[in-house]
Amino acid sequence: MTYFLQNFVNALQWGSFYALIALGYSMVYGVLLLFNFAHGDIFMVGSYIGFFVATGLVGLSAVGVITLPYWLILVLTILISMILTAFVGMLVERVGYRPLRDAPRASAAITGLMIGVILETLNLIMLGAERYKFPELLQTEIYELGGVSVTNKKIMIVFVSLLLMYLLNLFVMKTKWGMAMRAMAYDFAVVPLMGIPLNTIAALTFGLGSALAAAASILFGTAYPVMDPYMGVTIGWKAFVAAILGGRGSIVGAAVAGFILGFIEIFSASVFPSTYRDLIAYSIILFILVFRPHGLFGQEHTSKLRL
Amino acid sequence: MNKRILVSILLLLVLSVLLAACGGGGNDVIRIGINAPLTGDNPKVGEGTKYAAEMWLEDINAAGGLEVGGKMYQVELVTEDNEYKAESATKANTKLITQDEVLLIIGPQSSQQAVPAGGVANDNKTPMISPWSTNPNTTLNRPWVFRTPFLDPFQGPVVANFATEQFGATKAAVLYDVASDYPKGLAEFFKAAWEENHGAGSVVAFESFTTKDQDFSAQLTKIKESGADFIFTPQYYSEVPLIVQQAHELGWDKPIVGSDSWGSAELVNLCGDDCDGLFFSTHYAAAGATGATKAFIDRYNEKYGYVPDDVGALTWDTLLLAQQAIQDCGEITGDLAVDRQCVRDALANIKDFHGITGDMTFTPEGDPIKCAVIVRISDAGEFEFFEQVCP
Amino acid sequence: MTAQTIQKSKNGGRLRLWWQSVWSRFDDVPLLGWLIGALVAVGLEYAVGRPFAQLLGMRKSPALFGFLFILKEPWLIPSAIVYVAVMTILPIAALAKATASFANKTATALLRASTLLSVAVHLILLYAILYIWCDILPYRLIVVKLTLIAIVITLSLNVVNGYMGEFSCSHPGFISLGAYGASVVTILVFDDPSPWLFPLALIVGGIVAALGALLVAIPSFRTRGDYLAIISLAFTFIIKSFIENLEFVGGPRGLGGQPNWASLPVVFIVTIIAIWIINNFVRSILGKALNAVRDNEAAADAMTVNTQRTKMTAFLFSAFWAGVAGGLLAHVLAFINPASFGLQKLAEVLAMVYFGGLNSVVGSIVGAVSLNLLGEMLRPLEIWKWIVIPLMLILMMIYRPTGLVAFKEFDIVALLQPKQTTKGEQ
Repeated sequence: MTYFLQNFVNALQWGSFYALIALGYSMVYGVLLLFNFAHGDIFMVGSYIGFFVATGLVGLSAVGVITLPYWLILVLTILISMILTAFVGMLVERVGYRPLRDAPRASAAITGLMIGVILETLNLIMLGAERYKFPELLQTEIYELGGVSVTNKKIMIVFVSLLLMYLLNLFVMKTKWGMAMRAMAYDFAVVPLMGIPLNTIAALTFGLGSALAAAASILFGTAYPVMDPYMGVTIGWKAFVAAILGGRGSIVGAAVAGFILGFIEIFSASVFPSTYRDLIAYSIILFILVFRPHGLFGQEHTSKLRL
Repeated sequence: MNKRILVSILLLLVLSVLLAACGGGGNDVIRIGINAPLTGDNPKVGEGTKYAAEMWLEDINAAGGLEVGGKMYQVELVTEDNEYKAESATKANTKLITQDEVLLIIGPQSSQQAVPAGGVANDNKTPMISPWSTNPNTTLNRPWVFRTPFLDPFQGPVVANFATEQFGATKAAVLYDVASDYPKGLAEFFKAAWEENHGAGSVVAFESFTTKDQDFSAQLTKIKESGADFIFTPQYYSEVPLIVQQAHELGWDKPIVGSDSWGSAELVNLCGDDCDGLFFSTHYAAAGATGATKAFIDRYNEKYGYVPDDVGALTWDTLLLAQQAIQDCGEITGDLAVDRQCVRDALANIKDFHGITGDMTFTPEGDPIKCAVIVRISDAGEFEFFEQVCP
Repeated sequence: MTAQTIQKSKNGGRLRLWWQSVWSRFDDVPLLGWLIGALVAVGLEYAVGRPFAQLLGMRKSPALFGFLFILKEPWLIPSAIVYVAVMTILPIAALAKATASFANKTATALLRASTLLSVAVHLILLYAILYIWCDILPYRLIVVKLTLIAIVITLSLNVVNGYMGEFSCSHPGFISLGAYGASVVTILVFDDPSPWLFPLALIVGGIVAALGALLVAIPSFRTRGDYLAIISLAFTFIIKSFIENLEFVGGPRGLGGQPNWASLPVVFIVTIIAIWIINNFVRSILGKALNAVRDNEAAADAMTVNTQRTKMTAFLFSAFWAGVAGGLLAHVLAFINPASFGLQKLAEVLAMVYFGGLNSVVGSIVGAVSLNLLGEMLRPLEIWKWIVIPLMLILMMIYRPTGLVAFKEFDIVALLQPKQTTKGEQ
């Protein structure tokens, strides 16, 4: 039982990252019907921005210019890098996606892929071969609860992720901008005719998704502090699977699917021999899709639109 | 129109001959190929290789070239990036052999690239020395392929015996990357050695993950559950900090032991206090080194600002070994096939080579017989010599 | 500013005019003429290439038009230009022009005799050119072989992503299935295999890949939409993990020692067969049905197209050729491991398809050839190569969103036609 509970806790943490990253994919996919394959690398950029912000703030406090407790530095780091990364996301949209608004969707997917490669390579050129260590802003504390090890980091990660998801849902459901996004997801062709500025909404969507990826990357940095230029690739592609699994345009769906993917991965490694993890985990995904071909929360849409 | 084209081509022709006469070197050049991962997943390995090679070339140039049989030769290093990919490494080797016409090849470093690339070198009858690949298949049945590190069938038992004696352990757990040649090979050699000493089933957890994974909590939870006395994890320095840290967060307080792939100055930077007091087997210990080893470390440190990883030291040894083989050859005829054969034979005949990572003599298979070192990570984050194990 | 812009456009215009005027002189040169020119040019290089290169101060003939060294040894740039001009461009141009009327007559005669004969003559010429070109420098050989294989891979993916209009990510999986399938036949099944087994091995590779495709096709074609994208992506992960756990093919360590059967003629012939069959496939009724499905599935269904069967056939067909290409790849490299068939391979393959052009056989050939040669030629840029190539692709997507040569039929007869001289006899 403790074994199960321990893995449950592990999966909760791991799933949070998939969920947060999947939200970015899902929003872009829902609103603009695009695969934003640069998203994993935006996650990576967010992590490095966070690294520099955090190191800068820690340095300033050390010199005594400002005196901040570490928890406040963490909060500030998350907020500042969310904002900065949002701009990076909008820039990617402006450069790589807006010129291709009327092109086949797959072309935009290729630009995204290539922007990702450029981001990785630029990072390698500018920062060199060294791996960076994300500053430790939260002193690890380990609590033993009936044989289950829980750290303060795990609790914070899950809590902050859920909070962000709740805020995002609130934004999309309750605000005017959110309504515009939903309308766009409902009908891409007609809604701009109603006076909704397409470019603004597109930028907003990319910005929000990137900000979430940045938040995810900082949380990620506290739990997995080794950074490298290719850190976003695998987790990005897997989160993409989660986003589509959730169903088109469903925020709740993407979040739930992210957690589900985390659980499937952790439990297939812990129940079966871990060598077979990917084999089993992705076979399960395949199996789910056979029975829910439109994703977990998606509505049926037969249109292929613009491809 | 045609006249103009003709005139411009003639002008270009003259210009090119002039320029080439100024810039081009003579015929007395020895070309050595370097096949290293400058980009891809482990660029630090490529960097160490490149730096060591640059230092060596500096020495050669300072001496006015390489003297072979009483004649001075300029040395040219041709570096090819293998992107840390097997496919790229074979392509790079093909290019070095056929296009750049190198005399011999240094690299690739990781077994994942060295095993396939060795096949290309062997088929094309070009000597190749891998400075870092410890998997037996790299040189197996390949008379043209050599290496400077010890082998995994040796390293596995070294770690197994060390853990038995040092911790009095009877139950071992292994965590390794199933998708990478080196960790998988070493994990299996370790398992075999351990079960030979402690009986079948004494490796109580044999867990794996895939390259680029960042979360190991499921595997580590399993290991903790299995009641093992220690974890052996033959992973690269960039993955070790994550493994160690996550193990500690899951409440693991028993030892974690590693292998030569841990040996990078970056390990301590990335790992912080979590790695203090851990042991791993490796080729040389940087802290407390003496003689030529110390001279190399100091020079490297001064030039590039960090203590060289074992890749750097091994590459240095490899280049000196290549240098000796070329010099032993006695004569460079200019006929590549002859010269390559000559260098290969010279390599196979080298006895008691004194390298900075230890003394070496080559088996007929092209593998050195040399000692391994067990290193402890001190509280100051230095790699302290703990004990030496010789075959 | 405006003046500057005008100046610029004027310059651009003049350059274009000049280019057009040069090009128009070759209006009357048929394909046959170009091939004859190229054949003579490579023959010339074969005979005097090396001494000429040494005269120009180079160690040996530049393998890929000098790109491999001019970045590191810039003083050799003029030499490389001269070499390429004298050895390649001038002879080709001169001979193409000189033999134009002969080539036209021959091309007419050949076509009149039989299309097949004409195709055969052109192919033999093309092969001879490639053979001699590779024979000059062995390094070119591996570049040419890998490029030919890339053509097959790109074409097969274009059937799904272009003609069918889906977004499939499973090609790395199919290629690896084919590579392993064929290698198992040539290494593990037979102790002392004879080269005659190679076609069988390739077909086995293709069939294994097609069986794998069934696994993707059954769940994903139940519905329209983007689910193929993730099902195929999941498939790539599954296959990689599956092979890593197959100990008898070496697991993650890979499988090496494939017999050296993928020689240039073999790769060339397989590539030609692949182009021929795929081209016929997409121009057949089934290919038209596929396009109909892409443009509007409901309408196609109403027009009595069996959409399910059409999509299934095309997908398996595509996977089959990817598998064959994989088998060739394994025997060219003589080593395969599962790590080579991951996400990076996927990006590579997708780039070639979309760069070359969707829905177009010529496009796929152009895409595969140009990206492969560029990849090799830009090697000296080292890490900057991974800035330059993606940047080019992005610009291509922005200015030609469907790729270089998209939505074009590959009409072989038109290609082989003699060119009518517009200026009359000289």
